[in-house]
Amino acid sequence: MTITDVVKILDGKLIAGDATSPRVVGAVVANDLMSDVLLSDYDDILLLTSLASDQAIRTAHIVGAMGVVIHNAKPLSETMIKVADDLAIPLVSSPLSKYDACVRLHDAFLAEERA
Amino acid sequence: MAEYSPVILKGQQTSDDEILAKTPLDEKALGGDSSVIIMELLQRFKVRDVMKRQIICVPRKATLREAQHILKENRISGLPVSENDRLYGIISVNDIINGLDGGWMDEPCEAHMSKNLVVLEAGMPLSFALRYFNNYTYGRFPVLDANRKLVGIISQRDVMRALLYELSVEIRKLERKTRPEAEGGGASETKKNFFRKEWAVVHNDLSRAGHAANSIKSLLRERKIDRSLIRRVAVAAYELEINICIHSHGGVLVLLIDDDAIRITAKDRGPGIADIEWACRDGTSTANDWIRSMGFGAGMGLSNSKRVADTFNIASEVGKYTIVECIFDIPKAAEPPQG
Ligand SMILES: Nc1ncnc2c1ncn2[C@@H]1O[C@H](COP(=O)(O)OP(=O)(O)OP(=O)(O)O)[C@@H](O)[C@H]1O
Ligand SMILES: [Mg+2]
Repeated sequence: MTITDVVKILDGKLIAGDATSPRVVGAVVANDLMSDVLLSDYDDILLLTSLASDQAIRTAHIVGAMGVVIHNAKPLSETMIKVADDLAIPLVSSPLSKYDACVRLHDAFLAEERA
Repeated sequence: MAEYSPVILKGQQTSDDEILAKTPLDEKALGGDSSVIIMELLQRFKVRDVMKRQIICVPRKATLREAQHILKENRISGLPVSENDRLYGIISVNDIINGLDGGWMDEPCEAHMSKNLVVLEAGMPLSFALRYFNNYTYGRFPVLDANRKLVGIISQRDVMRALLYELSVEIRKLERKTRPEAEGGGASETKKNFFRKEWAVVHNDLSRAGHAANSIKSLLRERKIDRSLIRRVAVAAYELEINICIHSHGGVLVLLIDDDAIRITAKDRGPGIADIEWACRDGTSTANDWIRSMGFGAGMGLSNSKRVADTFNIASEVGKYTIVECIFDIPKAAEPPQG
């Protein structure tokens, strides 16, 4: 599941970063508390959060995340987009709620496994 | 062009001059071509090769008092006022003195900074920079790129250091030519890897907080350091940087790398922590709603930092300071694999 797949699955839009990035999702972390995200040990995290701030991107960079999804179509500031570009973190905006986004990603993972 | 060599060789008694005095700069050591070598270096090097890329700066809304602390802590005499790479002005020690005198230390920098700026361009040869230092009394110049973005800052000291370094390389080359037996032996001492960098962290400037930790991660990635070690260092740096930003009056984050360890130190100017044991516990926090709305305040930062570090030290005095140090051992690469 690449970032382009994530965009499709979540009816989202890629706001910053490289659509052709070959990195695939290793784990989905859905969390609004950045220290919690920093605590996780997974590689290639897809960070799903409602925290539409520079800090979500900066945290994603620290844990080497492969992308960030802001759910509920929260408005994204210009600086946040700039930080995402600077740190080369793909940033996706999705209209889904956190719960629905998780369910869709989960189903997509199962389908991937079956295939 | 010969007019520039005196600039390099005279100047005030700075520590760079002391190094200069100990460096065999006489004609003999350089094979009688010292001025030629210096001229050549001045043309070959551009401002961008020598400038500091890590710029310590403040946002427009920072107070003069904050600027004063940053100047003092970093022992610098000028501080660019800049946001998103755009340069708005410079706060100098003079502006601080005027602020102390006039009683406006709590007013924002933008109201008192100098806006008539003399700047250098990154692509200019170093000889230009020297001419500027000669023609103006400023100790440092901001450096802009072709798009007028702030990309660095250059002081006389930076120029000196670069020239001294290049000269010593040239000297070593010449020495090797004249005394080939001097090669080998004694080099191991100087090989010791040492790197230090420091970032100012401004109180409540959450838009920039984390920027130092991101830079630290990028810096470590450029070196051959194990990925999981980089992640651990970055996590501690980020947590400590955010803590300075949201819990303290401001401070600095320092990265130190040598052959054996990576060290992250966070120092701030108070208010200090009354009960360190309580603060380091998982889930304890004094964060308010604003901090929580920004994604922090779970009370996990200090315990996260402790968890990732090989050695964790913390000290604090109420009303004065907090200092947290995380040390990460670098595994010896030379060790044979086990089993
Ligand atoms: N530099 C500091 N100066 C003063 N107090 C501090 C400092 N760092 C931490 N503290 C105190 O220690 C408490 C715990 O810090 P810790 O980093 O563990 O959690 P937090 O910052 O509150 O939340 P989180 O880090 O999970 O976002 C803070 O709430 C604060 O009261
Ligand atoms: Mg914290």
